[in-house]
Amino acid sequence: MNKDLKNLMFTIVFALLILGISVSCWLKPETAFSESERRALASLPHLSLSTVFSGEFTEGFEEYTTDQFPLRDRFRTLKALFSTKLLGKMDNNKLYVQDGHISKIEYPENPEMITYAIDRFDNIFNKYLKNTSVKTYLSIVPDKNYFLAPQKGYLSINYPEFIENFKSNLPYMEYIDLIPLLSVDDYYRTDSHWKQENIQDVAEWLGNQMGTDVSAQYKVNTLGIPFNGVYSGQSALPFAPDTIKYLTSETLDACTVTYFDTGLPKQGEFYNMEKAQGKDPYEMYLSGTSPLITIENPTAKSSKELILFRDSFGSSIAPLLAEGYKKITVVDIRYIQSDFLGNFIEFDNQDVLFLYSTTLLNNSMAMR
Amino acid sequence: MLFSSIPFLYYFLPIVLMIYAITPRIFKNTVLLLSSLIFYAWGEPIYVFLMIATIGLVYIMGLLIERFKGTVWSKIFLVISILTSLAALGYFKYADFFITNFNRITGLSIPLLRLVLPIGISFYTFQTLSYTVDVYRGNVAAQKNPINLAAYVALFPQLIAGPIVRYSDIETQLVSRTHSFDKIASGTRRFIIGLSKKIILANSLGELSDAFISSGDKSVLFFWLFAFCYMLQIYFDFSGYSDMAIGLGKLLGFEFMENFNYPFISSSITEFWRRWHISLGSWFRDYVYIPLGGNRVKKARLLFNIFVVWFLTGFWHGAEWNFIIWGLYFGVLLTIEKFFVLKHLEKHKFLSHIYVIFFVAISFVIFSANNLTDAISYVGGMFGIGVPFASFEWTYYLKSYGLIILIAAISSTPLPKNVLSHLYQKVWFKKIWDVIEIPLLIVLLLISTAYLADGSFNPFLYFRF
Repeated sequence: MNKDLKNLMFTIVFALLILGISVSCWLKPETAFSESERRALASLPHLSLSTVFSGEFTEGFEEYTTDQFPLRDRFRTLKALFSTKLLGKMDNNKLYVQDGHISKIEYPENPEMITYAIDRFDNIFNKYLKNTSVKTYLSIVPDKNYFLAPQKGYLSINYPEFIENFKSNLPYMEYIDLIPLLSVDDYYRTDSHWKQENIQDVAEWLGNQMGTDVSAQYKVNTLGIPFNGVYSGQSALPFAPDTIKYLTSETLDACTVTYFDTGLPKQGEFYNMEKAQGKDPYEMYLSGTSPLITIENPTAKSSKELILFRDSFGSSIAPLLAEGYKKITVVDIRYIQSDFLGNFIEFDNQDVLFLYSTTLLNNSMAMR
Repeated sequence: MLFSSIPFLYYFLPIVLMIYAITPRIFKNTVLLLSSLIFYAWGEPIYVFLMIATIGLVYIMGLLIERFKGTVWSKIFLVISILTSLAALGYFKYADFFITNFNRITGLSIPLLRLVLPIGISFYTFQTLSYTVDVYRGNVAAQKNPINLAAYVALFPQLIAGPIVRYSDIETQLVSRTHSFDKIASGTRRFIIGLSKKIILANSLGELSDAFISSGDKSVLFFWLFAFCYMLQIYFDFSGYSDMAIGLGKLLGFEFMENFNYPFISSSITEFWRRWHISLGSWFRDYVYIPLGGNRVKKARLLFNIFVVWFLTGFWHGAEWNFIIWGLYFGVLLTIEKFFVLKHLEKHKFLSHIYVIFFVAISFVIFSANNLTDAISYVGGMFGIGVPFASFEWTYYLKSYGLIILIAAISSTPLPKNVLSHLYQKVWFKKIWDVIEIPLLIVLLLISTAYLADGSFNPFLYFRF
């Protein structure tokens, strides 16, 4: 090709390309929320002399232009595929694909956060449980890395040491080991959580260890909405969605579920169909985040009560424990100050189960 | 503003280039100056006034030096110009270093100033110094047009990270430079390659470096992995930025000097410094080393000259003892080479390369540290002091980044360029290349954009200098 012609083509092609992208950047309407990443996107910062001189405007503008970049999700996918498939990186922004699952590297152990979680539990025990006849149990749900990471040597926490740390620092809690009952197939492929339809045996084992029969027959219902789990959007990789299933029974239908959010307590359902159609369909289980929920079962097999301290993993398993308990109080100390629990719960003769995932225990700063 | 950012690539640059293209020749430098001030003020809205004041002072001093040429006043104005430029650099960059060390020695506790370092001050100070010295020496005429001088100092392609363009190199280009499709094509090519080096290679390697620094599972092998990785990261970070600067310069009609010439293929440290950050090395040679007497002095004085230059080179990079040690480390190596081993190194090419990589890798580990204590601990770690031989993390990072490191290592040599040049001699390849070059560069630009849109890790190491 003639050199002059090539140079002319070069100039025209790149001028049009840069200009085209630039015009798209200017013209693209602002998007408030990223469905794939489940986060609010930066908006155009306020322009004033003070924001310019403080650097607030320029910093905000850089965030804005990144967040609002045209076809951003496509570009994120391109980057994810290029860095993992062509450059051979084993993870992209700490997310990796193994055995058909997307998982997030949870590494390293965070000693400060672990100590903080232990302190929170210890504080609750000493404040409410020490001088009562409650039985206290602890159970830790491993994140997916437990099953996936060793296969190709992905970084993961030392699970036996991690769990032992909690067991040895909370000796008054009876530890219930769930690991033998779990496999990676019990988790969603695109999300961090376990599947309700696969953890009936886990619920039964927990009940069994606490001396309560929670076994029941459930009907498996399928939610007709594709579930793109939290890792799906974060990884930006093309991945088929999961399916959410939820279990129902006559016993569950007879239960009364009360949510103690801000304002007056509200009665609701185990499964919130409005949230099932929302940004995170997993929030359909016990309506997602809620500081305090009570589940009352008039047809319970026993008169026992359970207090379940939990994170989001507890949302899907709590209904499966209802069969054996007259009342279950579900507490999420990320949304309620544990010092105020005495105003809502009378601790006397219940079973108390602390059921937490390794992910939350290793990032426990939200516990209060 | 960083070149490797969306605001620069898709907001600032297209607007500036369009305005520049349609502006009559006589006003092009004004456009360059205004856009450069906006570029600088984007990151430094206050310190832009410091830069303007520096330019104003240097402009006046240049005129006065020339006006009183041959008299003592010329020297006085030169000294005033040098001292004020160095005072500003010293105040903003080194004040806390001196206070800290003064406090350490005297036991006093004078509070630190905790000033934010004006971006690019080390680079533009050296440019203004070279200008006034060159005017004093009579190598260049003082610039009468303040817009032209300000455009030279503030020229955004090289403002914040070089190359340290000397006024003498672009004196004529400031008033008459050519713009052509050939330059635009070559500048665009260079810019995109630089952008890709920075975003795809340097930033990826930077992730590994950061993972190492925050790791609680360090080992000898992990230290060495980090050393090689950091060495490549800083090369691609800085040379990528230099490529972008040179490319942008071409788009605006300028020809800047090369700043890197495959430094890792050197067979001696002496050669390494002829290939690494060339504009800085030659600046120190011409404005410090030679004025001190250069080579043509007695051995003791020569040693003194070498160590002054390398002390200053280290100190220029940062106000911490590890940077000074880093500079002196090279001073020692260069002295040993000069007096003892240079001739032997030339005879054993393979061993010489290993020797260079070994000592350069160690040097950048010293360079990477936050302070001298960390530097000592890092170098100790490379030789097994206080750490095990291998660790869990290093195997993961080696597997995860192995291909990137390999690509980076090969790309840091002239091999890809030589292969391409060789193939380009063949008619069939030339035809293919002519067709695929533009799509390939588009792909590189889009992939780099994808990294930016992802909001990935995007530091710039030389920002702190």
